[in-house]
Amino acid sequence: MPIRVLLDRVLLERRMSLTELADRVGVTIANLSILKTGKARAVRFSTLAALCRELDCQPGDLLHFEPGPGDEDFEDD
Amino acid sequence: MRALGPGSVSSFLKIILDVVYVALWIGVGAVGALMLLALLFSFNPDLLADLVVTAGGEEVKNRGPVMTLGLLAATVYMGGVLVIVAQLRKIFATLTAGDPFHPENVRRLRVVGLILAGLELGRYAFWVLSRSILPDANAVEPSLSLTAWFSVLVVFVLAEVFREGARLRREAELTI
Repeated sequence: MPIRVLLDRVLLERRMSLTELADRVGVTIANLSILKTGKARAVRFSTLAALCRELDCQPGDLLHFEPGPGDEDFEDD
Repeated sequence: MRALGPGSVSSFLKIILDVVYVALWIGVGAVGALMLLALLFSFNPDLLADLVVTAGGEEVKNRGPVMTLGLLAATVYMGGVLVIVAQLRKIFATLTAGDPFHPENVRRLRVVGLILAGLELGRYAFWVLSRSILPDANAVEPSLSLTAWFSVLVVFVLAEVFREGARLRREAELTI
């Protein structure tokens, strides 16, 4: 997946724990961990909006595109 | 009336499949035991002297091997149906649990399709074999059962539908 999630970095900058963010956003810690570790396949706009609202940032602060050999296989499985 | 989940049509069908499954086990065991008896008796034809087996109106000479072959075919056929029912029980267990797109259901449906095709091919093979052993027997003529082959294709298509469903389920699980 060429999209890297920078949630851990933003959390560190805001000095916020994953548990606190999960409570504020209304997403389970398990799902936020999936997102943080880059295992997520997709992010809902509603989730992204809630994350940006609570972390006071823009979507670009959370997501980073890294071109690589696997960036064309979004129809895999 | 709900189709999925506890107390639904699926759970009712699951109970029926459970009963059929047990009955099939008993049937396979009984027919298998009869086949073994026929096999043992075929070594001593005198024990079967009072038994008259006819095919096409004429008495069959080699009763033991013919009966053994017939019972073996019946055991294999019932065994195939047993495996199909066993797979359907597992599929309906997932439907009762409200999880129709369980990844294992794809493999189970493919097994059902393969066994249905195998049973149909076995029917033709049994007819060829019985014609060679009993040339006078013409009571059962082979016929290309379009319904059976249509069922096989439908099951394989359903397996692909379930595969797509399982993929979408996984996508949904990993969508945050």
